[in-house]
Amino acid sequence: MSFLNVNQVSTAAGLPSFTTSNNAINFNGNIIGASSSATMKNRIINGDMRIDQRNNGSAVGTSVNGYSVDRWQIQQSTTGKLNGGQNYNSVTTPSGFTNYLGVQSQSAYSISSTDYYTINQRIEGYNIADLGWGTSSAKTVTISFWVYSSLTGTFGGVLQNYGYSWNYPFTYTINSSNTWQYITVTITPPTSGSWQTGNSQGVNVIFGLGVGSTYSGTPGIWTSSNVLSATGATSVVAVNNATFYITGVQFEVGSVATSFDYRDYGRELQLCQRYYYLMQSGVGRWNSTNASACVISAKFDVQMRTTPTTSGMNIGYGYVENFAGSNPTISSIGGYGGVGVSGMGWVVLNLTGGSGSTIAGYVCEFYVLNNTYGLAWTAEL
Amino acid sequence: MSNQHTYKQALDLKGNVNTFCVLRSDGACLPFDKHNTDYQQFRIDLVNGATLNDTSGNPITGDALTTFISTLP
Repeated sequence: MSFLNVNQVSTAAGLPSFTTSNNAINFNGNIIGASSSATMKNRIINGDMRIDQRNNGSAVGTSVNGYSVDRWQIQQSTTGKLNGGQNYNSVTTPSGFTNYLGVQSQSAYSISSTDYYTINQRIEGYNIADLGWGTSSAKTVTISFWVYSSLTGTFGGVLQNYGYSWNYPFTYTINSSNTWQYITVTITPPTSGSWQTGNSQGVNVIFGLGVGSTYSGTPGIWTSSNVLSATGATSVVAVNNATFYITGVQFEVGSVATSFDYRDYGRELQLCQRYYYLMQSGVGRWNSTNASACVISAKFDVQMRTTPTTSGMNIGYGYVENFAGSNPTISSIGGYGGVGVSGMGWVVLNLTGGSGSTIAGYVCEFYVLNNTYGLAWTAEL
Repeated sequence: MSNQHTYKQALDLKGNVNTFCVLRSDGACLPFDKHNTDYQQFRIDLVNGATLNDTSGNPITGDALTTFISTLP
């Protein structure tokens, strides 16, 4: 066997074609790693924060303790300390990206030992099943992302399994305030522990924004303690108006951070819809036993992770047959049944307002006029 | 790690108690599916004393609540 040992391959004119490094080649900044997959290299969904079905780019409010842009959860042990959302405060994005997830501290809050303020994404077990975590052949992974903060210092995060029994705190450093900085963190894989490989949580990728000592752990080692950040990490919520913005989050196999896995918008949306689907129109019939209920059956565009929860989200524009004058609005969900991962058998939409009357068996219909309105189906992890 | 909700049984299309889902106080309807995380939280909330009302809005307590829980997946 013979070897070609070079640092760079150039054109005939002497211009660099690509450079080499351990397990990777670099095409003028576009890096391909030895472990890079041809598809779904990035196990994070919506890592570039493009998809925002719930809020359509609006801030989520200080009471948020849930999802902002698709798949990304903002958690606050006490609500009111953070506000945020897609492109919050409208700073210039790093090259190659048009969106980020941003949060801003609403006070100078001194966290208690059990407080936690985090941004996280739970990756489904199916999407990490090939990593072999919990076995002797567990694969190394690398997390990379762009981050921008008004603060500098050491920040923390954690990888966590389902059940919180395997946790890997990590740290990274922000050297300059109010500047986008590219971060890479390579994770020593766990060769033991329980890791889900089905439709439940495979691994939770957590970024700490202020976590108390109870939920903080020593970085760089796996621990059985339920932790959400690294000990001593910078607290964003401790400084009034402090900001933290993040985008381009990638979780990939290998020890090298490669170029962001840019996926087309339609496919990224479909990946998100496995966990959250906003149904914006539907056709059904008036129920015979509940005259105000429009009974709808429909198929989801994407098979969901599991049987979803449903809720009405400001469905203020229901058009319904046999209603004269003003249209009613959907006041609540009356119940549903026959729902699986692929569609719903029926859902009762309770209506309020409007004028006229309904006739059992006649067609009813709802549609919405705003991107954030609709019938929401949730199967998040 | 979450604010506790109250819950209410829903009706099915025939006016009987819905055996597919339960209503949450924020208006969401949760399927009785052990993989659904909202349902998982519902189970935790019940253990922690969350109120479950029947379809008329009356709290379900005692043996009736125990029986109901025993039927859940």
